[in-house]
Amino acid sequence: MTEFITAVLTSLSSGAIYALMALAIVLVWRSTRVINFAQAGQAVLTTYIGYTVIQRTGSYWLALVVAVISGAIIGAVIDRFFMRPIFKRVKSGPIVMIAPVVATLGLLGIIQAIIGFIWGLTNQSIEAPVSTGGYKVMGKVIAFSSYNLLVLVAVAIAMLLLTILFQRTNIGLALRASAYSPEIARLSGIKVDAVRTLGWAIAGASGGLAGMLYIPGYFLYPNAMDLLLVFGFVAAVIGGLESLFGAVAGAMILGFAINFSTTYISQKLFFPTAFIVLVLVLLIKPSGLFAAKKSRGA
Amino acid sequence: MIRNKSMKRASLVSAVIATGAMVLSTMPAQAATPGVTASEIKLGISSPLTGSAGLSYGKVPGAMKAYFNYINANGGVYGRKITLISRDDKYLPTLAATQTTNLVLKDNVFALVGALGTATHSKAYKAAALAKNNVPDLFINTGFSGFTDKTKYPTTFMVLPTYAMEAKVIAKAIKDNFPGQATFLVAQDDEFGSDGVAGFKTAGHTFSAAPILYPQGSMTAARAEAALTALGATPGKPVIVLFGTTDVTATILKAAEKLALTTKFTWYAGSVGADANTLLALGVKPTTIDGVITASFMPDAKDMTDPYVKQFADINAKYNKGITFDNYVLAAMNSAMLTVQALRAAGKNLTREGVISAIENKGAKFASAGLVPLGYSPTSRIGYNGYWVAQLNAKGEAKPYGGKLVIYSTDSGAGAVAVSTFVRPTMPKNGIPTNS
Amino acid sequence: MSKQVSSKKRTLLFVAFGWVLLILGDRVGDLELYQGSFVATYALAITSIILLTGYSGQLSLGQSALMAVGAYAGALTIFNAGLHPVIGLFMAALVAGVFGLILGLIAARLSGPYLAGTTLALAISLPTLANQFPILGAEEGIVFDVGLPPARFGEDFSQYKWFFWISALASLIMVWFIANLLSTKYGRTFRALRDNPIAAELSGINVGRLKVTAFAISSGVAGLSGGLLVMLISGVSPSAFPLSLSFALLGGAVVTGLYNLKGVILGGLVLVAIPEIADSLVSRIGGSEGFITTLPGFLVSALLILAVVFTPNGPGHLIKRHHKK
Repeated sequence: MTEFITAVLTSLSSGAIYALMALAIVLVWRSTRVINFAQAGQAVLTTYIGYTVIQRTGSYWLALVVAVISGAIIGAVIDRFFMRPIFKRVKSGPIVMIAPVVATLGLLGIIQAIIGFIWGLTNQSIEAPVSTGGYKVMGKVIAFSSYNLLVLVAVAIAMLLLTILFQRTNIGLALRASAYSPEIARLSGIKVDAVRTLGWAIAGASGGLAGMLYIPGYFLYPNAMDLLLVFGFVAAVIGGLESLFGAVAGAMILGFAINFSTTYISQKLFFPTAFIVLVLVLLIKPSGLFAAKKSRGA
Repeated sequence: MIRNKSMKRASLVSAVIATGAMVLSTMPAQAATPGVTASEIKLGISSPLTGSAGLSYGKVPGAMKAYFNYINANGGVYGRKITLISRDDKYLPTLAATQTTNLVLKDNVFALVGALGTATHSKAYKAAALAKNNVPDLFINTGFSGFTDKTKYPTTFMVLPTYAMEAKVIAKAIKDNFPGQATFLVAQDDEFGSDGVAGFKTAGHTFSAAPILYPQGSMTAARAEAALTALGATPGKPVIVLFGTTDVTATILKAAEKLALTTKFTWYAGSVGADANTLLALGVKPTTIDGVITASFMPDAKDMTDPYVKQFADINAKYNKGITFDNYVLAAMNSAMLTVQALRAAGKNLTREGVISAIENKGAKFASAGLVPLGYSPTSRIGYNGYWVAQLNAKGEAKPYGGKLVIYSTDSGAGAVAVSTFVRPTMPKNGIPTNS
Repeated sequence: MSKQVSSKKRTLLFVAFGWVLLILGDRVGDLELYQGSFVATYALAITSIILLTGYSGQLSLGQSALMAVGAYAGALTIFNAGLHPVIGLFMAALVAGVFGLILGLIAARLSGPYLAGTTLALAISLPTLANQFPILGAEEGIVFDVGLPPARFGEDFSQYKWFFWISALASLIMVWFIANLLSTKYGRTFRALRDNPIAAELSGINVGRLKVTAFAISSGVAGLSGGLLVMLISGVSPSAFPLSLSFALLGGAVVTGLYNLKGVILGGLVLVAIPEIADSLVSRIGGSEGFITTLPGFLVSALLILAVVFTPNGPGHLIKRHHKK
């Protein structure tokens, strides 16, 4: 019984972590139709910035704000000076999909090299702002702490805020329109390029939040979020890439699947489970679980 | 002035002969040996500098270079300066193969030192044809016992004790100190984990449950919490043996903190994952580290009363600026010191065969910081062949378990674990070897 | 342009190139031969990507997994079954091809990022699976030994030359085969599929079947390159096929042109030469330890980005544009 409860609790925590990254990936996808592999690098970079803030001021919350803001700025800069020139050159064919992937991979490498150069290649850690000790329930300590709760709440709030932004505001409409059909959006007066940069800024901010929430439970080094990127991407695809709710749901499904399979079957299934779940979901629904319509075929 | 023509010729000839003799006596014929000139010895190392393995081992080449620079500033090896060429293999077998081949064929190194990793080095050894080219492969950074096989790796010398040896020593320590308690093993699912598992089996130790083997990179906080919750139900004070890298040890200890299980278990951290500095840097609380048992064969890098440690720390401060002195730096400099002694022992006429037989015949007597004996001989390629049991305190210092230093010596096979009366050779003055 | 080259001309071209390589092989040292073997192997791997992505429009991030399948199949054939290395390489291609066929059946229904995600998950899972089954040798892996060069080649014929001959020959044959394939009706159908799947479907092309075929063939090619790769490192292990290999190959394919096979050798060269150049440049500049360690990675990534920004369709297009002026 304890095993079951622990599995459920750790699944919630893992799922929340994957959701953080999945949200950022879906954000970029929904507003720009690009899978941004540099997300892992951007998020780590903003976390290093946050780390420096903590070193200087001792405040985690200040660092969090700085990380989110710098995430937005970095995201915007990347789109404006990096992705835009690429899109200008690449107009048709499969290269449209691939060039950004390869470019963001290159960007990831550059960011990780810069981090290594500025901050050195050693491990650092960030202390969590709230207790990481498990709650005591009926005399026993469970595998769930205030910190896990904080992450879950943050994910829920982020998802809600972002959904409201996308579905209920004019900016959100502009974002969706620019991604869905740039030519028509332009015709109706939307500054597509500026809107897209905004999308990258929001995604960058979300990545900044992800990093500052993830790293305290782990440790800080240039490749710290590489694995998270892969699982976040898989979670986003499971959820359908089209909805933020789908990203979170997909992340939870993935978290539960991995934790349960490794607890009850074998530790060795850690990576294969991601593949198996993804294939199963896509066999049933090729465009992911919560995609409202059939995939447009990016 | 010599007027006589024949006398002139004679003196010219004798002058030539004299000069020739002088030249030849100070500059042994080196044309045939790669990597060696009258003024330089080139050594090569292929190891992870970037990537996740680079975190722990990235410091190794720099530390070795620092020691070599110190020796160069003090006369070098018979007047020759040591140059260490370092190449990054990111812990990937394909890169290790190409980088090692580069070191041999492009950089023309005399010998390799400190090669790192089992999967990486076993591929690199064959790809670079080290056996065929008779390239000495000195003091490799891995404890996989397969490398002691002279038929497969004729030019290789280990330095770290094997993981199997460590397992046997830990098994004995558990039996002596915690009889009757349940025991569990968490190990990385690869060669070093399985080497350890085999060692425990040879020592006759059976764990209370099947070992938890995790694929590299899969021991997340969630997994650690699940594992510990399950183990936490065991009565008494079980012993948990962790055979993994430092980041995994940190993850598991932090999970124990979360579940308030730190004092429920007696923790045994395998040497690969027990660097206290790193554990603290990764966020493990000092109170958690206090009491963790580990095995080591070196003095602790924080023990400045040890002459070797003090000397290496001084060299680090002068020649390796900006890098914190820790157990990784200590071990790397120690290997560098062994390398210098090996080069010296091979004599002024430095050849590859010469250095190999020098270590075989004289290596066991080399001075080093290791507190356990070196096992080099014409038939054995084993370096250190023992461990002492240590306990960490809240300051991250490793002190002898039980207060008294007891050194155990054993082999990778069915040999017994015996207490060793080994006394470490005195450090050469100023850490500069003068052996021959 | 390859449509205009007749198949006879192409064969002659390949044979001629093969002779050039043979002669070159005698003139260069062991190090160049070894590096050349890697160039050939990577060129072959890039070919598989061009076929899959450039021609049939499916983006896969998991070529490394398919290479691994081929590598293990080959190693098992040689080591466990004791068969001849040539059979080993053949099995590498065959087994990977069958695996690709099954994978392709799943993949055919997926598009764009969904396929990318699936292949990504595959790439990270496959190495772990190798640890599952003891017959696959766990971390130490299985030896892949093509043996020493035949005695009749003489004493001076080094192991590296033997590697070069095998990898260059295998790659040449396979690339020739694919080039021929793409110049036939098949090639035109692939291009139709890539450029406009809906129109292709309307004109009667069985898009699903075509995609699966592309996947299978591409996987076979990747499997062969995987076998060659582990031949060069004398053994296969899970860590030989990390995710970063998939990314590197994709980068190499983009840099040298995704749409036709002309650039594959250049792609292989880039993958081998660029890290080397970065390394030597850095050691010549010198600097702090942190600088030396991180600069090569920085340079390689920067070059990749520059290549994507300035020649996303491959340098061939750049040259064409230049000529038009």
